[in-house]
Amino acid sequence: MLVKVKSVANVGLESYGIDVEVDVADQGFPGFNIVGLAGKAVEEARERVKTAINNSGLDFPPKKITVNLAPADLPKDGGAYDLPIAMGILAASEQIPSLSLQASIFYGELSLDGSLRSTKGVLLVGLFAKKGAVFVPVESANEAAVVEGIGVYPVRNLNELVDHLNNVKEIKRLSNLEIKELVDDVSVEFDLAEVAGQEQAKRALVIAAAGGHNLLMWGPPGTGKTMLARAMPGILPPMGVAEALETTRIYSVSGLLDPGESLLRRRPFRSPHHGISAAGMVGGGTNPMPGEVSLAHLGVLFLDEMAEFPRSVLESMRQPIEDGMVGIVRAAAHVEYPASFTLLAAVNPCPCGYLGHPRRACKCTDKMIRKYRARISGPILDRIDLHVQVPVVEIEKLAQNSKFKSQNSKEIRNLVVGARRSQEKRFGGDGIYTNSQMRNKHVRKYCKLDGEVERLLRMAVEKFDLSARGYFRLIKVARTIADLENSENIAAKHMAEALQYKQLA
Amino acid sequence: MSVGKFSGWKGELYYKGEWQEALFEKCVAVVGSRRMTSYGERVIEKLVPQLVNEGWTIVSGFMYGVDQAAHRTCLEVGGKTIAVLGWGINETLDASDQILGDQIIKSGGLLISEWEDQKPAQWTFPARNKIVAAMAERIYVIEAASKSGALITAEMGRNLGKEIWAVPGPVTSAVSAGTNWLIKTGRAKMWVPGESISRGTKTGDLYILLQNETLTVDELVRKTGRSVQEVGSELTMMILSGEAAEEEGKYYLVE
Repeated sequence: MLVKVKSVANVGLESYGIDVEVDVADQGFPGFNIVGLAGKAVEEARERVKTAINNSGLDFPPKKITVNLAPADLPKDGGAYDLPIAMGILAASEQIPSLSLQASIFYGELSLDGSLRSTKGVLLVGLFAKKGAVFVPVESANEAAVVEGIGVYPVRNLNELVDHLNNVKEIKRLSNLEIKELVDDVSVEFDLAEVAGQEQAKRALVIAAAGGHNLLMWGPPGTGKTMLARAMPGILPPMGVAEALETTRIYSVSGLLDPGESLLRRRPFRSPHHGISAAGMVGGGTNPMPGEVSLAHLGVLFLDEMAEFPRSVLESMRQPIEDGMVGIVRAAAHVEYPASFTLLAAVNPCPCGYLGHPRRACKCTDKMIRKYRARISGPILDRIDLHVQVPVVEIEKLAQNSKFKSQNSKEIRNLVVGARRSQEKRFGGDGIYTNSQMRNKHVRKYCKLDGEVERLLRMAVEKFDLSARGYFRLIKVARTIADLENSENIAAKHMAEALQYKQLA
Repeated sequence: MSVGKFSGWKGELYYKGEWQEALFEKCVAVVGSRRMTSYGERVIEKLVPQLVNEGWTIVSGFMYGVDQAAHRTCLEVGGKTIAVLGWGINETLDASDQILGDQIIKSGGLLISEWEDQKPAQWTFPARNKIVAAMAERIYVIEAASKSGALITAEMGRNLGKEIWAVPGPVTSAVSAGTNWLIKTGRAKMWVPGESISRGTKTGDLYILLQNETLTVDELVRKTGRSVQEVGSELTMMILSGEAAEEEGKYYLVE
């Protein structure tokens, strides 16, 4: 008897419907074969499915079983077809009614004892289904619960599912989760006010958040660069419904959502170690998986000790920084992942890290320092608008005469949201959203400088020997500073402040 | 390879550039540590232009740190400078040294060495110092640790009866230990800058704070209680107007 079961294959962030056709034939030598461009993990489904059915006290028919995964030309990998194959066999051997499989999608990896394991990509399955019922492993089921219009059934093990389909004991479907409520109800993980001192670095973070600028922090170890970076997601505008879904999709495909979690509610913060490979950074693998740049999508990518990253890795980030997405081409597939992130980088001032430290001596020679600084490639530096020094904080000085009161992340976030709103209004039909995305033509159109500011800028170009790129970068930063003050025009003081964050010579 | 001689030195010296007797008439040595601090750099920015104005040729040892800063500052203000190398005249220089060397020659200065082909070694530098000491009428030690080549130069100069000057530095700084010791033991006169032109009109709070010490933006923010954005943009204006300068994140007044 022949049975068709519906399932889903994910290639990158795209989903395709898969028909799992199972034939249990009375004639022929007993056996179990899977065809349809099945990967290694799918081939092995034979053993998992057979053992799981037997261990659940169900019958594995001693007949000739043929499984076809259609369409045949689409590569398939992973354990997610275990469940549809098992259901096909059970239906074809009449242990469950085959009618009950219609209009439902089955997706999930089986364990040898018949229970279901958490499986990657359940959110994408839910989004693909649009209507009808979706049977997925209980641990991953919450991912799909944010999709409206479908019935999500969390399956614990094969027996439960067989009872449900035989109308013996029903599995309770998950109630729909409201994304908006999930997203609005988020607290800040790291508050900027917790960082002692470093007022200028904090200000640079605010500007970076408001205008979507990338930021480079220079400073010796232990001055709080990492703490500052961690606080960045908390001052970015809260995620919207669409944004939350977009990031969650990437995490779902990567299998990085915690069991039971339904949605990424905070902006992601990724800080890969400098031992990372280019494939780890931008994504890769036979079936290309998202890399760090995509996992940081709509959030923050923090590169600590950026000068230690291999040049090839930094170079590979040029496309994502420029285009907000990354294309990965492999033999099996050509996949595009979104990768629109804020880049925060930290760099030691010299190889030993103690140049300019008030108490510790730096052991590096001039030449070593020059060589070290040259390791960060120009094209990447060109894409970083803000540079700031993060000096050593002398605690005793902090305690004394501190007239200055730091703002907390919530207050800052309101400022940032305001500045972003002015930008959206300005760029209405231009297809860009933040000041950092402005091209030269946008700068000319939207950043009119009056005589005084122009003069100031010309003096600065002369004094600091700025390049044409540096010139445009400055104007963009000044525009963001003006937006933070809700000022229509760029005033001289805005430009003067922007000059504080120019690239170090 | 060209050779030349100057009075006060027995042997012949190899050189690159154009040998002019006038160069050697009024020489002053500016020497110091390889590990120069921003303090040392600022001293050089004050001292060297003054010496050039008075018509001195600046002699130094071409090592990175104080030596090269002295050469460079001299070139910037249009002076003539002689670099006495601690290695053979034909040794290849690394790229940035080569650029500086070319500039020295182009501006009418000289690169000088005792040797034709000689790799730098422990003993070549003291030998080089001897030439520096012999050439200069006066020797200024900018920054020097307690066991520094610059102290050797000063000692050689003293034995030759030259005038030795040392720049006092913070007693906590290792690279000022040598110069302070020279002053303390009477081996050198203490150099302090002459009358500086005060700008009585400046009364801003940043200006007043910076009169006493060098400060970072964060420190200025804490001391004034003003916002980072205000302080930052005011500092930029001070830099552009030439009132202040910034080095490794610290601000100071320029006189």
